[in-house]
Amino acid sequence: MQLPESQVAVLEAASADEATSVDALARTTDLPPETVTGAAFELAEEGLVAIEERVDETISLTDEGTTYADEGLPEVRLYEAALEAGADDDPVSMGQVIGASGLEGPQVDIALSNYARKGYGSIDSGEITADPDADPGADAEANALETLSDTDDAPVDTVDVDAETLEQLDRRGLLERTESTVREVTLSELGVTELMAGIETAETIGQVTPDLLTSGEWEDVEFAEYNVEADAERVEGGRVHILRQTAERVKDVLVGMGFQEMEGPHVDADFWINDCLFMPQDHPARTHWDRFALEHPTHIDDLPDDLVERVERAHREGVGDDGEGYRSPWDEEFARALALRGHTTSLSARYLAGHEIGEIEPPARYFSVEKVYRNDTLDPTHLLEFFQIEGWVMAEDLSVRDLMGTFEEFYAQFGITDIEFKPHYNPYTEPSFELFGTHPTTGELVEIGNSGIFREEMLEPLGVECDVMAWGLALERLLMLMYGFEDIRDIHGTLCDLELLRETEVTY
Amino acid sequence: MPTVDIDPDELRELTGREEKRDEELKEDLFGLGLEFEGRTEEGAFELEFAPDRLDRLSVEGVARSMRYQYGDARGVHVPSANSPEWTIVVDDSVPEERPYVTGVVVRDVDLDEESLESLIQLQEKLHATMGRKRAKGAIGIHDLTMLKGSAATEGNPTIEYVGVEPDGDRFVPLDSDAELTPGEVLEDHPTGRTYADLVSEYERYPAIYDDLGLFSFPPVINGRRTEVSTDSRDLFVEMTGTDQWTIDKMLNIVCYALAARGATLEEVTIEYADSESANADSNGSRTQSGGRELVRPDLSTKTKTVSHDRIETILGIDLDPDEVVDLAERSGLEAEKRDGGDDGDELVYEVTIPPYRVDVLHPLDVIDDLGRAYGFNDLEPKYPDVGTVGGRHERSRLERSVREQLVGLGFEDLLNFHMISEAENYDRVGISPDDDVFGAGEPATIKEPYSEDYTMLRTWVTPSLMMVLERNTHRAYPQDLAEIGVAAVLDDAENTGVDERRRVGAVLASHDAGYEDAKARLQALCRRFDVDLETPPTEHPTYIPGRTASVVVDGEEVGVIGEIHPKVLVEHDLEVPVAGFEFDLAALR
Repeated sequence: MQLPESQVAVLEAASADEATSVDALARTTDLPPETVTGAAFELAEEGLVAIEERVDETISLTDEGTTYADEGLPEVRLYEAALEAGADDDPVSMGQVIGASGLEGPQVDIALSNYARKGYGSIDSGEITADPDADPGADAEANALETLSDTDDAPVDTVDVDAETLEQLDRRGLLERTESTVREVTLSELGVTELMAGIETAETIGQVTPDLLTSGEWEDVEFAEYNVEADAERVEGGRVHILRQTAERVKDVLVGMGFQEMEGPHVDADFWINDCLFMPQDHPARTHWDRFALEHPTHIDDLPDDLVERVERAHREGVGDDGEGYRSPWDEEFARALALRGHTTSLSARYLAGHEIGEIEPPARYFSVEKVYRNDTLDPTHLLEFFQIEGWVMAEDLSVRDLMGTFEEFYAQFGITDIEFKPHYNPYTEPSFELFGTHPTTGELVEIGNSGIFREEMLEPLGVECDVMAWGLALERLLMLMYGFEDIRDIHGTLCDLELLRETEVTY
Repeated sequence: MPTVDIDPDELRELTGREEKRDEELKEDLFGLGLEFEGRTEEGAFELEFAPDRLDRLSVEGVARSMRYQYGDARGVHVPSANSPEWTIVVDDSVPEERPYVTGVVVRDVDLDEESLESLIQLQEKLHATMGRKRAKGAIGIHDLTMLKGSAATEGNPTIEYVGVEPDGDRFVPLDSDAELTPGEVLEDHPTGRTYADLVSEYERYPAIYDDLGLFSFPPVINGRRTEVSTDSRDLFVEMTGTDQWTIDKMLNIVCYALAARGATLEEVTIEYADSESANADSNGSRTQSGGRELVRPDLSTKTKTVSHDRIETILGIDLDPDEVVDLAERSGLEAEKRDGGDDGDELVYEVTIPPYRVDVLHPLDVIDDLGRAYGFNDLEPKYPDVGTVGGRHERSRLERSVREQLVGLGFEDLLNFHMISEAENYDRVGISPDDDVFGAGEPATIKEPYSEDYTMLRTWVTPSLMMVLERNTHRAYPQDLAEIGVAAVLDDAENTGVDERRRVGAVLASHDAGYEDAKARLQALCRRFDVDLETPPTEHPTYIPGRTASVVVDGEEVGVIGEIHPKVLVEHDLEVPVAGFEFDLAALR
């Protein structure tokens, strides 16, 4: 009869007199164990061999167990430190002994909880005593660890440790029991007969070649079987950065809602960043350290003169019959100072002023997802530079209800519903709202943005004669809500972890 | 955002709502925009709030707002003030940088530990907010019984606001036993050192005198003689600053807080020596000496004319005029219906604003109050019924397309900071700012950087990619990384003086990465965008000589490509070769 190469090898290596394990067959045939197992089952199907299965239990030390085998059990180390400190005579302060023992972290608790149990002494009101008669050399658990430290995956019945001690070590998480199925193969009578009759190896083909195809030879060959279950080599391939993906999704949603994209300078004059937004020049946020002023260059060359004049008038006198300005200084030189923009509302100011793409007629919707810069404390949820989602809608007679409806639609696209609007204060919007939403997985109420209707003191100098409502939100915040990341620094910036970026689940 | 500490027991007492549990109070406070942040060691609520309603910087102010919210108070309430007895005379010598003063006398104050603490907190919070850390306005509160007014004018007690030479006089400041000159206070006293910057440039320092001598050195510190304690019954409050309106408003907030505790207000006359320093907007009258006389506190109300139509369009609902009047009263305002407009048929309201409000600049601010009283969260959201066409910016579309191609070519897309250090941007990749090579150039630098790691905007992207490689040597190779991001150099031709542009940067790191791998991918990219690529040899300190080329797209030099020099690899702890390129995104347009 004809059989594939691996089956022939297994058949020849097996014996009719004694059962041979798959591992042993693999060594003899120089085939991978999974190939041998596969071949053996095929042969058994043909009745050429018989397979017997049994379950073996093996044990080996866990990492923690290995550590203790090397360094000693924490309670033994504690006992030794206690003896050293003279606790066999008088009680000694626990802190002192623990310090001397070199135990750290969870090991301290482990040492304390086993200390008395195993008769090394007692612990009472922060003091420790040592039993002079205790003998660490007779500690069954310690000795068992030492015995086991030389073996790996040892069958449980070959280990010279009593069952009770093993049980104790298992409870302490110091050893690991593994059950494995061992298969043994024996030649059947049929197998022996067929072998005597002679078995040919069927020709198998590894690779499809041009020659094989053009010659037509492929019709007569058998293809070597692969282990189709085995893991293949790992490839990474490219992928779009997870924060970019989130930004793209936001852009898709906003474009779908009728928003046009804005862009503009990262380094900009305070005039566009703050003055146009009716932020008084002595506002804490403008003198505050959270702003990144530029050392070089220091000032913008040109600002539109007529706009500067109108903005200054709004700051000093207010807008409208009944308006009041700020009782704050206003200086053009101060407005010309350059900084890294603290928000992309500077872009909104530029667009609304007609400075970027000419006059914008209502109705209009604009957005950007661009970087902003704040000199805040760098921590797991705050970066010095992050992306701000900025959006505004310009139309006649917009109401607070329009604002709420727009944001409900937007956030619903990201699974955030039940938005709450908390009335808030913002120098350039009135009314203003902080937006809160329910976290899709944890269910807690989290701040998800800031919004409002631009003040007339901002819009009038910019030449806008209808209503504009606007909102802003940190993209990173949305990302963390969507993915549950804990430290944004792993994602954004040169401290990023490639592994995390590679492994993050794809969302859509 | 400012925080204020409020004792819930005091709040219950001042609102007369003894039955409210802590949790209910927290909810009611949230409704006012005061967010519970935690408790202080003494158990008080720590509340965070937006910096508009500065009249809520004390438990008295918060209680007042809650009484309006509960409907226990309505409309505008103005405390009465007795006629002035005391006068503050402003001398010619007052520093011109800080010419303004205001004040009030408060009698029959019943201060216990809590109310004294609340008063001190209010003072500190006002300093931090409206007072702009005391630069714009500073408050001094004194025990009136310790003051001896000189009876210069018509038998009335007078104190004087003057300018004094830094070593022109001595007094014992708070928290000190020694007599110090104002100059010494700035050097030797802890509070003096904190606020020294505010006055150290002045020729003469601000000082307030009574008959016994100097008792206050605003905006820095009070004298010990007039220190307020729980035994104090009558207080003298003075405020100095750079703007009369600001200190008058700060004074009003303090007056309302003390009046809420049952104290009696008594006006103070302010006499400015010359007309020049008193040219603020105000309602003072002329004195015989040609100066100007003010009577403070100024507890007059002001009005805003608010259109009914505007209220309805902003809130997006129809309202009955009586309802508007009711909402105003529940906000601590008063609204009176008027026919306004040119043809007289537009309904408007004259809305009265109480003197403690500092945030009402425009009728819109009144509408916000009405909305809060109505309950913004009771409004039904609706999607605005206006059609617009959406679309992306051209640069943004280009960037997305290039990124898609890079990912298709096997690159992992990265996103790095625009801020970087000089060392990373130049030194560690072997170049200096004035080198005539791609990626060099003078940087835009940051005045007060967060740390020495972020002192400038990066002039190219490749250093960021090298930093990521350096950080990830324990991760599997190949590491083929790409980034499309902003780089910036100084450029006089730009209005901002900074040329910001998007760059495409890429590095290939693996045991056999080489020039060809980088070139192959760059070629593919250029093919796909149908631009002509040439790579004439060049020299660049970041790359290995003989394996470096300029990236020339459609005849224009736009970047560099090469194998990273071993000295740069070793500098970044890399043990594999790296090849890469960087060029202007705009070259693919």
